[in-house]
Formats: sequence, structure tokens, C-alpha cells
Amino acid sequence: MINVRDIRDAARDLLAKGEVRAVIGYRRGSRGMAAEPVVITAPEQADELVWDPTCFHNLALYLVEDRKFLAHSRKAPGAPIAIIAKGCDARAIVVLMQEHYFKREEVYIIGVSCEGVGVLDERKLAGHVPGTPTDAAFEGDDFVFTTPEGEKRLPAREVMADRCLECRAPFPKEHNVVFGEDKTGRELAAPFAALARFEEQGATERWDFWRRQFERCIRCFACRSVCPMCYCDECVVDSITFPVAPETTADEKANRIRWIERSAVRSENITYHMTRAMHLAGRCIDCGECERVCPVNIPLRLLNNKMEREARERFGYEPGASIGAASLVASFNDSDPGSFIR
Amino acid sequence: MSEPETYEPKIVAFLCKWCSSAGSDLAGVSRIQYPANATPITVPCSGSISPLYILSAFNKGADGVLLSGCHIGDCHYIEGNYLARRKIYLIKELLEFVGVEPDRFRMSWVSAAEGAKYAQVVKDFVADLKPLGPQDKLKADRT
Repeated sequence: MINVRDIRDAARDLLAKGEVRAVIGYRRGSRGMAAEPVVITAPEQADELVWDPTCFHNLALYLVEDRKFLAHSRKAPGAPIAIIAKGCDARAIVVLMQEHYFKREEVYIIGVSCEGVGVLDERKLAGHVPGTPTDAAFEGDDFVFTTPEGEKRLPAREVMADRCLECRAPFPKEHNVVFGEDKTGRELAAPFAALARFEEQGATERWDFWRRQFERCIRCFACRSVCPMCYCDECVVDSITFPVAPETTADEKANRIRWIERSAVRSENITYHMTRAMHLAGRCIDCGECERVCPVNIPLRLLNNKMEREARERFGYEPGASIGAASLVASFNDSDPGSFIR
Repeated sequence: MSEPETYEPKIVAFLCKWCSSAGSDLAGVSRIQYPANATPITVPCSGSISPLYILSAFNKGADGVLLSGCHIGDCHYIEGNYLARRKIYLIKELLEFVGVEPDRFRMSWVSAAEGAKYAQVVKDFVADLKPLGPQDKLKADRT
């Protein structure tokens, strides 16, 4: 069990000593019990920090935002920035460092282990808890919700996010300081279970499923916005920085390469999502944020899990395992599968 | 909808400059007869083929996509085809995962001396594509 006071003390201490310029963490949000991301810069703000089952956000995203902000303001980073990171978040940070997005010494990782549980999936909560809970807390293998009708205790497994059930590495291996027990290797549910079930179907059923899913995509790009790996300054689907000079002709403007149209129609949606899955191959650390934020509930984790499992089984590649490792698509083995090539 | 007997699949063929493109040239200068369904696009190396090229080709109406490069060990850039093999394996798996017919996508190693092999690869590909009919899964509706 992690005592939130330990996290607050660590953050307060770091800020007071000036070892870090800010701490990225969670605070109580304005939407019911849900926590929200916060960046604190003064020691007295440390008491705002919380740690509970609603801390689902992958805060690595804000390291990317911070980096972009610094780049645009042309400021030197100065002291490192601290971040509260769960197992999955820490893996995301490792991938970013592997890609030289920032250096190890520029980040101070305050690791928090999810231990035997994980974060809540709000969609699973319906019907389990009366009214609107105002608070959630970890309690061993249970979550305790504070509702207008009193406290309600639920086994975490019933309302936990699927990705947390499947998670085998709830402990942030890469850290400067860490709270909570190391339960690496725990297995609450078989990994890639949903994927295996899905793959039992034939190609026609699979296509039918994806066709229906991608017809519903509204191209809000929430999946892209929430993903710490989608840090490109210009996304391939936007093509907004087409350089237009006085001599650029209307023909050139009309015929510039548009890999994918932005219109929310099936063919473009599926091309967008497959492109994204490819760009995340060997980088996605399965934080599940894309699926959580999707307003039309497209099971995006299936696509990313597929790539993750292929990388693991065919190439022995584990994303976010080591800062120094070569990335999946920038390395190869002689034993890579090649029998599909004629 | 075209009739099955008049339907000719459109193939986009990404050929590496050093081997397969020269291989297709050899097929031509040797006067080997093979179907004219493949539109060749020369790329510097099979390793330079982005998965986006493949998705985009399907999106813009290709019925099949063929990739071809130098044999393993023969890459002009030493390791480009090794990198391609891994990347293309992933996109192949992903295409099959969402339900695109596996026969719509093919990769081959064709050296500059293998004009006959290139002709055979295209022949086989066309034969496999014909029963599948037009590709409409990823194709954009631009009507």
C-alpha cells in the first residue's frame, strides 16, 4: 500500500531543494471522483497531489508537452522535471528516451507501483456503485468508493481496466525513487486474451467487425492527442505544413500528396488507424489511453496489442524495456520470419 | 462492377532500384510475356518502403500491392532488405488482422538477373487476385 503522504513529501522535498523545476502528478479533478493531471511548481502545492484508482492518465504525455513548450519558447530546461509514473508510464518514458526525445538526467521519475491492482475503468463501474461516487481509494486488492449513500467496497478485479488486468509489469523499473511493492510478473488475467478470442474468428467476421468499428470513428483525434508516442510536430494525416510560395500553382496545391484524407469516412478512418498502429509498433506500451478516451468506444487496444504480440513472439522485442536498445523497426535478426516472401 | 471475365486487377508494384527494377527490365528486354496489370514504382530500396505506401496504394484503388527487393544478403545498402522484411511482416499481419485477404499483398525477392522470376511472380499474383474481385475495403469512395 502506498501512502499518498510519501508521494507528497517526496514532491515537496524535491521542489523545496530546487532539484526539480516542476512535478507532474495527479490532483482531485472537477469531475466527480476522477483525478486530473497537474503540474506543480511550488512546495506548498504538494498537498494537492493524490494517488488513487482514478489516476488513469499516462503522464508521460506532459513530458512531451513540456519538451515542445521549451522548444517553442527557446528556453534552456534548467533543472529536471519530475513525474509521477506508474509501470506503464515509466515504460513510455523509457521509449521516449530510447528515441532521444529527452535525456535520462532531464527527468526525475517518481515511480509508483500499482502493486496487485491497477486503475479503474469508469465504464465498468455502471451498476456496481449507487449514485455518483465522490472519491475512490486503494485498499489492498479492493477499491473503496465514497458515495452519497456511504462507502462501497468492490474487488478491484471487477472494475479494473482490462489493460491493468493483463499487465505483468505494474512496477516502474526505471525510476529515481519508487513507492510500493515490486510485483513484476503478477498475472491477474492472461495477456492478449481479448486478442486471442478475436483472432479465432475468420477473416470475414474480422472485417465485419472492423468495418462497423471504423464506420463510427468521428476523427476527433483524441487517440492521437492523448498518446505520448504521437509527438510528431506534423502528423501524416494532417499535411498542414504544405509550403505555399507565391509561385505555387493551383495544380500543385490540388495535387500535393495527401496520404490520408481527413474526412471521417470508413476507408480514410481505417487507413488512419492502421497507419497509427504501424507507427506504434514496438513503441506502444499498452497504457490503454487511446481506448479510454475514444468517445465512440472503438477497441483500439486490439490493434496495438496485435502489433505488440507479433513483436514479442516473432522478434523477441519488448517495448520500453531498455533505454539503450535499438528500436523494433530499426533492428533485425537473421532469424526474422521470411517464409511469406516469394 | 466489372464482369469476372473482363476484370483485370490493378497491381501497384514497389520495386527496388538495384535488383527488382532491373529484374523487371530484364523481363522486358528478354521479351518474356506476362500480364500488364502491374504498375511499377521504383524505390531506392525495399527498406525505404513505408507501410504508408502500401496502405495508401490500397486506399487509392489498388487491388493488389507487390513489393520486391534484392535477395537477403544482396542489398545495395547492406541491410535495407533485412529492415524491410521485419517492417513488411508487421504490415502484412496487420492487413490480415483487419480482414484484408492475404493474397492482396505480396512480397518477393527478385534479383537483376531474374527477369523470368519477376514475370512469374506477376503472373501468379494476377492469377490469385482475379478470383478475389475488386478491392473495396480500403479503397476511398471518391465518387
